[in-house]
Amino acid sequence: MRDTFVATLLEVAKKDKNIILMTGDLGYGVLDTFERELPDQFINSGVNEQAMMGMAAGYASTGKRVFVYSIGNFPTLRCLEQIRNDVCLMNNPVVIVSVGAGYAYGSQGYTHHALEDIAVLRALPNMEVIVPADPAETAELTTIIIASKKPTYLRLGKSGEPTIHTTRPKPTHGKINEITPGTSGTLIFAGSVGTVAVAAANALAAQGISVAVASMPYISTIDIDYLEKALRIGPVIVIEEHSYRGGVGAAVLEATNAANLHGAIGLIAADQNNLSQIGDQSFLRTANGINVDNIIAKFNALKVM
Amino acid sequence: MSDAVTPFTKAAELALAARREIISMTSTAKASHVASALSVVDILSVLYTGAANISPANMGAADRDIVILSKGHSASALYSVLALQGFFPMDWLAQYCNNDAPLGGHVTSKGVPGVELSTGSLGHGLPYGLGIAMSRKKSGAKGRVFVVMSDGECDEGTTWESAMIANHHELDNLVVIVDRNKIQSLTFTEDTLRLEPFADKWIAFGWQTQTISGHGYSLLAESLSTQTGPKCIIADTTKGKGVDFMENSVLWHYKPPTAEDVAKAFEQLSESY
Repeated sequence: MRDTFVATLLEVAKKDKNIILMTGDLGYGVLDTFERELPDQFINSGVNEQAMMGMAAGYASTGKRVFVYSIGNFPTLRCLEQIRNDVCLMNNPVVIVSVGAGYAYGSQGYTHHALEDIAVLRALPNMEVIVPADPAETAELTTIIIASKKPTYLRLGKSGEPTIHTTRPKPTHGKINEITPGTSGTLIFAGSVGTVAVAAANALAAQGISVAVASMPYISTIDIDYLEKALRIGPVIVIEEHSYRGGVGAAVLEATNAANLHGAIGLIAADQNNLSQIGDQSFLRTANGINVDNIIAKFNALKVM
Repeated sequence: MSDAVTPFTKAAELALAARREIISMTSTAKASHVASALSVVDILSVLYTGAANISPANMGAADRDIVILSKGHSASALYSVLALQGFFPMDWLAQYCNNDAPLGGHVTSKGVPGVELSTGSLGHGLPYGLGIAMSRKKSGAKGRVFVVMSDGECDEGTTWESAMIANHHELDNLVVIVDRNKIQSLTFTEDTLRLEPFADKWIAFGWQTQTISGHGYSLLAESLSTQTGPKCIIADTTKGKGVDFMENSVLWHYKPPTAEDVAKAFEQLSESY
């Protein structure tokens, strides 16, 4: 996902001198080509996310589209007030790009797990939060983000994520992208955790239950039309690799409540019962409740109601 | 309140007029931070009478100089200077902090001509100004960036992160002016978190550093005229400058002047200037 992002950005940046890529001293082996080919559009600020984010905002105020790249919590939580005041309040066109969503850096420990970033970033006014499902969606969304002038948070996985979309995705602002249709309910996911949603849909299909699977990359603007239709069919399960508190599921509940929509909505998110637990991404997802068994149990519980 | 039809050309005259406005508006609004505004107003007056290339006429120009007041609690000083220099109507000052008024208690940029950045949380102005300076330097654009900070604000880590970055990138278009009034929120800076040897710190970070009076107009203007790298002016000031009962007192970081205080202060201003 991160390689797709950088490659997409580089191609546009070669033609557009106003695109700037900043990093807080991270991206070894990922940003090298960009730096080599466009040294005047690349800045390694050093290990200083707070100053870097303020600097990015000031830089962007001169008419540049500044992308700030780092791992999970560093360009988000570490410099939250700079994002709030200097990016969002001033409405400067900064794009925050974090890599390592959820448990992507699983074995590196909790400092490197990004599990509260969506909640915090989507609380900020003017901020567009975008979570692509796979490399194909990342490429399309990166192109859309470059053309926009909004403060944006792009939450990426790491590398080697499988492609979830079966055809080339055509993301549109604020829309949910259905990957496979279903007749008894819908599994909506955000991010590379979509592989778990697909596995759960396959397991339900083996039991003779047909559920739709859909990617929801836009977290700040919720696709109410899609949710309304989905809730008429059956339960909607929202799956994310993030805390329950304030995440993607919470965003769906808020939006459906505001729209007076009724129906069965279940959330699958990280339990976070043991913050110090070490393991790879797949292990930690399962251990924290983001797994096929839980999705099926949640679906069946809501189906009965 | 008089209408400012003609901008001031002399910093001393602008600063005197601004002091009256600061005292009046903080009293009317029952607002804090009058002493912080009185300590920085001479610095701003020097910047807005020619030391910085910024005026209502060139406000939209891409190559204008940028002035950022990072110590956003001194908003009344910036607003007074900008209004007196014709950036926006004088009668906005009387509505300071009112419901739905343009001017907030901390520096507000939205809809306020001449204000480049909303501030109020300390340690934000320098990184932001650094970003503008770096963009200009990298693209060969003209115009300098002046960031006016408080000394207490230098407790913030972003100050020193930014100081390193500006030095590394050899930003010869970035100037920091520290309003060194030696008092912060609860007590003196040296009793809170020692800043001294303050100039040595900036020098060690690679900045051209000069300590001069923050109330001496011509010396201040001269010190701002040239630079060959990032530059730091430590402007030695007196908190509450110009009104003896407000000078060097933590109380006036917070206390709004009463009508009686205003009358006494105006008397002193007419005598001493």
